[in-house]
Amino acid sequence: MSAGIVLDGVSKRFGTLEVAERIDLEVASGTFVSVVGPSGCGKSTLLRMIAGLEPTSSGTVSIDGAPPAQARAAKRIAIVPQHPGLVPWRTVAGNSRLLLDINRRTNPDQHPDPMELLDEAGLGSFAHRLPHELSGGMQQRVALVRAFALGAPLILMDEPFASLDEITRTEMRSLLSRLLVRHPATVVLVTHSIPEAVALSDRVLVVGPRPARLTADVEVHLARPRTTETEDSPDFNACCAEVRQQLRGAMQR
Amino acid sequence: MTRSMRSSTLFAPIVGTALFLAAWEALVRLGDVRPFVLRAPSQILAYLGRAPGDFLAASWTTAWHALVGFLLAAVLSVPIGAALAASPWLEQASQPILVLVQVTPFAAYISSVVLWLGYGTPPVLFIATLVCLPPLVIAMVAGMRGADPATRELLASVDAAHWEVLWRLRLPSALPTAFAAARYSLGISLIVAYLVEGSNFADEGLGAIGRRAAANNAADPLWATIFCAAALGTLGLVLVGAIERSALRWHVSQRRLLP
Repeated sequence: MSAGIVLDGVSKRFGTLEVAERIDLEVASGTFVSVVGPSGCGKSTLLRMIAGLEPTSSGTVSIDGAPPAQARAAKRIAIVPQHPGLVPWRTVAGNSRLLLDINRRTNPDQHPDPMELLDEAGLGSFAHRLPHELSGGMQQRVALVRAFALGAPLILMDEPFASLDEITRTEMRSLLSRLLVRHPATVVLVTHSIPEAVALSDRVLVVGPRPARLTADVEVHLARPRTTETEDSPDFNACCAEVRQQLRGAMQR
Repeated sequence: MTRSMRSSTLFAPIVGTALFLAAWEALVRLGDVRPFVLRAPSQILAYLGRAPGDFLAASWTTAWHALVGFLLAAVLSVPIGAALAASPWLEQASQPILVLVQVTPFAAYISSVVLWLGYGTPPVLFIATLVCLPPLVIAMVAGMRGADPATRELLASVDAAHWEVLWRLRLPSALPTAFAAARYSLGISLIVAYLVEGSNFADEGLGAIGRRAAANNAADPLWATIFCAAALGTLGLVLVGAIERSALRWHVSQRRLLP
């Protein structure tokens, strides 16, 4: 069901600016991977290359053995952008359906019902409201619902919780975990929050300053389902410490 | 919207209009203004009352001319705007043409167009459409360019076709600026209709009556056409405003915010 990703020697240059350098990566299907690094290190570009929205300068990306363009055309990639990107003239329900309403022929035979997802996200009673009537956290929840409604095996998230406050971020983490239990997918999450990455991921990839290069690959062996209590445990803190150390090492390189 | 808000939004314009008409009436009566310069509202209404059918028919013709010319331009502005928004090269190439249409006084080439298209409706619609087009196209391009890039990328991630991006994202994004341009263009379209009707020796329309009245120094019919044209313009703007309010309920311009 969910998709595996392979990056083979992926590099990216904008003119003379080296943004990503020879990245090799394999992500098994069903895995939750986070990419952690300082801002401007090229991790968003990496995400966009995985989606094929940004061409690579050299190297190849494949999603389940096929090029990203093919995966996009088959609606096998769902994106959660940094800003919710809701269309202001559609209601919450309409926004949840947006990606299903586009390019309809290639909709998968089975996908979650957007209205049920809205209920799961606690937004059922807001289905007929317009986005501007919602708080920032609620808008970002709609963006999550919109991605899951597509039923895509691969979900790419570009710092989706970056503009939210700490309390809302914690809520979003647990919502995302709950949604993934019921609707499994491979996830690549770009973030600069170490606790967020550790709390959600099976693997945390550490990226140093530009050009993006994978400098560490930390496996997170915390039992699931993870709760807010998990984040108070010594194992959790040890894992965060390890990622932080790796990041420090990457920065001093 | 609450009851008191609705009544206050109607109350202010009505009071304003009444004050304006009263001042106009007083100016003509007390100021001893010559009839051709300005007629009082009461005198205009009295004249209109003598042959209401004629002026209703003429107003209908002029309204139809102005509206069809405007609508043709509005419909054309969508594909043209979409093409120019998609291609900066096309936009730059078309810029001189749009500017030229906009800055050349249409009154100057009315006779040539009449000579080309003949008398009656065709030259009226042609010039109205032509003159309405540049502001609508420019508004479309600006609005379509302003579509949220995050949403644009989102649509690209599911391989949206060009027409889907246009229909689902670019066109709705352009509506707020398009409506602003529509208010302006509709007024221009009415001016064009009135002037071209007067210049093409047609028998129909407010412009034709106005032109004949001006030639014969007949103040009453002239001011009657001015009055009717003003009423048409007001009606048009009220209609556009109503459509705008219902179509743009989602837009920030339609919300009651702090001044």
